Amino acid sequence: MGGLWRPEWRRVAFCGWRWSHPGPPTGVAERLEPRLRPGRSGTGGAERGLRPVGTWRRPSLARDLAVQAPRRPKSTNPFTRAQEEEWRRRNKTVLTYVAAAAVGMLGMSYAAVPLYRLYCQTTGLGGSVAAGHASDQIEKMVPVKDRVIRVTFNADVHASLQWNFRPQQTEIYVVPGETALAFYKAKNPTDKPVIGISTYNVVPFEAGQYFNKIQCFCFEEQRLNPQEEVDMPVFFYIDPEFAEDPRMVNVDLITLSYTFFEAKEGHTLPVPGYN
Amino acid sequence: MSTAMNFGSKSFQPRPPDKGSFPLDHFGECKSFKEKFMKCLRENNSENALCRNESKEYLECRMERQLMAQEPLEKLGFGDLIDGKSEKN
Repeated sequence: MGGLWRPEWRRVAFCGWRWSHPGPPTGVAERLEPRLRPGRSGTGGAERGLRPVGTWRRPSLARDLAVQAPRRPKSTNPFTRAQEEEWRRRNKTVLTYVAAAAVGMLGMSYAAVPLYRLYCQTTGLGGSVAAGHASDQIEKMVPVKDRVIRVTFNADVHASLQWNFRPQQTEIYVVPGETALAFYKAKNPTDKPVIGISTYNVVPFEAGQYFNKIQCFCFEEQRLNPQEEVDMPVFFYIDPEFAEDPRMVNVDLITLSYTFFEAKEGHTLPVPGYN
Repeated sequence: MSTAMNFGSKSFQPRPPDKGSFPLDHFGECKSFKEKFMKCLRENNSENALCRNESKEYLECRMERQLMAQEPLEKLGFGDLIDGKSEKN
């Protein structure tokens, strides 16, 4: 059998052996040793000369593969074995740290949501308002007469809603602390009753937190019969603290914009902004 | 608009009205008061302060016709108009 071994086969067998048994190069010498001893291995004396050149038999290869236990050190040399144990131990600790870091990151990403909300409420970022609007505040508030603000009105309709919806005045001049009334008009030109629901928007966004509506027609379903036209009032005021906010010094124009959507079963109103 | 999901930019949070929603005036019962108010606005160059009497009357009409919850006028910011005098600014 040794005669059949060609150098190419040896190389192939060698590569195969290396791939399946990764280990320090000294391992090869260890494996070879038993075969180099005279009379120990091999089939005959005539082929012994060829064997040291590097013949290793397939059956032994298979046996090594079968016997290989997963955690047994690859070498029999005590020094390298200790080193391998050391490497394995360090690998395990590193892996533990990495896994802990991954789990920690995941936990932080979940915790970030309520923490961020808390942070926004404290700092007032994103337009979230901490102050409450009690009705007795309206009673006590004093109009700031020297600060006149122009409020313009805008009306929009969602594409699927066929109402004619428009404001009845283009603008109104108010002062902070004074309640004001404004009207919109909506007409249903179709032959079927239509239910609409509206939401509003105030530009600039920072002024929106001072814009308080006492009563309006938004966020509730409003039903219009065929060919019906109604007036829709908005009763609002601008918080007197608007005049004291340094960020609002240059704000003279506030635009109130209403958008009507068709109210359908199972549809929720697309309220803009983060919820 | 405010639907742009820019992280960190201020977005608008719509708030529900304090006293809820006005029921619709299907029969136009307070339409004359509204017309008076709009006429006042047009004459006074859209100044709200000069037309507060008319707006007070409109809201009173609504309250009478059950189109609005009854509220004392002070709570609606008309405390200075109650004794009949209107404030001219």
